[in-house]
Amino acid sequence: MSEIAVRTDDVWKIYPQEPFPVEAVRGLTLTIESGDFVAMAGPSGSGKTTVLNLLGGLTDATRGRIWIGDRELTGMSGKERARLRLERIGFVFQAYNLLPVLTALENAEFTLLLRGVPAAERHAKVLELFHEIGLEGLADRHPGKLSGGQQQRVAVARAVVGDPALVLADEPTANLDSGTSASLLDTMERLNREHGTTFVFSTHDPRVMERARRLITLVDGRIEADDRRAPARA
Amino acid sequence: MGSGGLWWRVAWRNLWRNSHRTWVTASGLAFGFFAAVVMVGLTDGMTAELVENGTRLMLGQVQVHASDYLPERNMHRTIGAYDGVDVDALLERIENHPEVEHAAPRLFGGGLLSSGEQTKAGLLLGLDPDRESRVTTLLSTVIAGRLPESGAAEVLIGEEMARQLAVDVGDELVVVAPAADGSMGNDLYTVAGLFRTGTPGVDANYAVLQLSDLQSLMAMDPGRIHEVVATVSNSRETPRIAGSLAGSLREHPVSLDVKSWTELRPELSEAVALMDSMNFVIVLIIFAMAIFGVANTMLIGSFERRREFAVVQALGTTSGAVSLTVICEGIILGILSLTVGALVTWPVMVWWHNTPPDLSSWFEGFEWSGAQWRPILRVEYSLDAPLISAVALLFTTVFAALYPAWKATRVPPADALADR
Ligand SMILES: Nc1ncnc2c1ncn2[C@@H]1O[C@H](COP(=O)(O)OP(=O)(O)OP(=O)(O)O)[C@@H](O)[C@H]1O
Ligand SMILES: [Mg+2]
Repeated sequence: MSEIAVRTDDVWKIYPQEPFPVEAVRGLTLTIESGDFVAMAGPSGSGKTTVLNLLGGLTDATRGRIWIGDRELTGMSGKERARLRLERIGFVFQAYNLLPVLTALENAEFTLLLRGVPAAERHAKVLELFHEIGLEGLADRHPGKLSGGQQQRVAVARAVVGDPALVLADEPTANLDSGTSASLLDTMERLNREHGTTFVFSTHDPRVMERARRLITLVDGRIEADDRRAPARA
Repeated sequence: MGSGGLWWRVAWRNLWRNSHRTWVTASGLAFGFFAAVVMVGLTDGMTAELVENGTRLMLGQVQVHASDYLPERNMHRTIGAYDGVDVDALLERIENHPEVEHAAPRLFGGGLLSSGEQTKAGLLLGLDPDRESRVTTLLSTVIAGRLPESGAAEVLIGEEMARQLAVDVGDELVVVAPAADGSMGNDLYTVAGLFRTGTPGVDANYAVLQLSDLQSLMAMDPGRIHEVVATVSNSRETPRIAGSLAGSLREHPVSLDVKSWTELRPELSEAVALMDSMNFVIVLIIFAMAIFGVANTMLIGSFERRREFAVVQALGTTSGAVSLTVICEGIILGILSLTVGALVTWPVMVWWHNTPPDLSSWFEGFEWSGAQWRPILRVEYSLDAPLISAVALLFTTVFAALYPAWKATRVPPADALADR
């Protein structure tokens, strides 16, 4: 039996809104094994982003409990959560969200810097990763001087550089064309395979869904379907 | 570099993302610094002028008397009482204090001055003109004739007294004064010169004689004086110096009392305290105004970056560290503004201090609080004004950054990421 990366137990997220509160996530119970490559699909408004934010502790669950590995996220203080994210969770966003004032290298080494890793070690690690995912020679560029695909790869590098147990990616390919999407997925898959990093990503794109080993479909904040299968190869 | 360096680096680069905004804000703060230093310099200039006007004509900065002389100013209570002192030795001893510059002896008396049918009560001041000239400016206000010479039975009187007595330089005056032995001293003096201080009370009432002449008129020995008046190297420090001088005179065989001008003219020293608190108010107002402008700019800047704040929080930054970058930005902005401000302020202050604009062509001098004022816009610079202003400026930027810093962490990361 493999280790557990994420576990949730009857998690609800209700936004108090007038006239009716919005039930974005309704009773989510879910277990994700370490090393899995999970896609989350569902129509717009079905709760994909909310679930990823809940798993990353960026938003509080209204009810229910969430564990990241063996640590319970629900009930942690903001500081403890920040620490947990720093040590165990990587994020990738649809809009890349690199820090514009930092170079590609500085963006990618960000979490290592926060952890106080010495410069030489940081640089070596990032440059090796850049080499692995096709970002050679771009280390000193600022995000504004990189293509969308390159920026998103820097963002992936930033998410995985600290060897997190879990990478959460909210529609990482939504801003990329299909060719670039495919190569980003190659990158993610490779990191998954070679580093054992657990990926959970949301998507609207059927071609991206096909690449997942597990596909969770959300509708109205509930799990509608949960398929484990052998992913199609690109 | 640890993660501390990261925040400084991010803050520094963020400042230059919108360099126009940064320069405008820094210029505003630099101007605030300039204004604060100049305004404080001007009030310090006025204060110095006030103190000098109040002390340099006659009061001096420090006075030494027999301990029982003040406040009655009884004629018999000379230093060392009836025996007097070795005046030269005492003066030397006082001048030997490292912070005392010059000292001069004085004897006071009261009497009647008359010429022909005119008689007037006057204050008689016996002094050593050479020494007195180094301590006060009284003898430099002579407008006609010259100073009384030793042993020549000469007197120097105020212009207004001369008018009232209808005498001029070279005329004779009879002076009658109660003497120490109970008799009435009287003598004939020649008017050697006239002075005009601009202060009516002095010009109408004072008659200046050689110390030895007044001593003999009042039947006193050469060792008898009422007062030693002295100047110090730093007038703002006078109370402390007076205390230290008193300490060094404690073993003097004769009991002495040392007073600084602040004790002799408490109203003057209160005016100085008032001006000093005005400085504080000026600095406070300038930077209180600046706080809102800077806070507003930083608030806009951090609002524009709320998504970035959310991203770094998602990556594992604590909200405290996010606030820290905003505060780092404030500190860097403060240091930048201070550098610009100092570079502009310093040469202006040096120039202004050395060549104060003389407004004599527009305004005449005027008399205020018993002293003559020169129509000069003088600035004084001490280290205090720029130091206080610098601290206030840095405090302003840090304080102005606090609210935006706090605001930056109020937005839940999930909402900021969704641009909600
Ligand atoms: N902060 C919020 N306040 C109120 N309602 C919210 C908030 N965030 C999300 N919602 C609502 O919760 C529901 C789920 O939103 P969520 O963003 O998770 O959906 P999604 O599956 O990611 O959609 P999309 O595919 O469009 O990104 C939606 O109805 C949304 O309007
Ligand atoms: Mg979404």
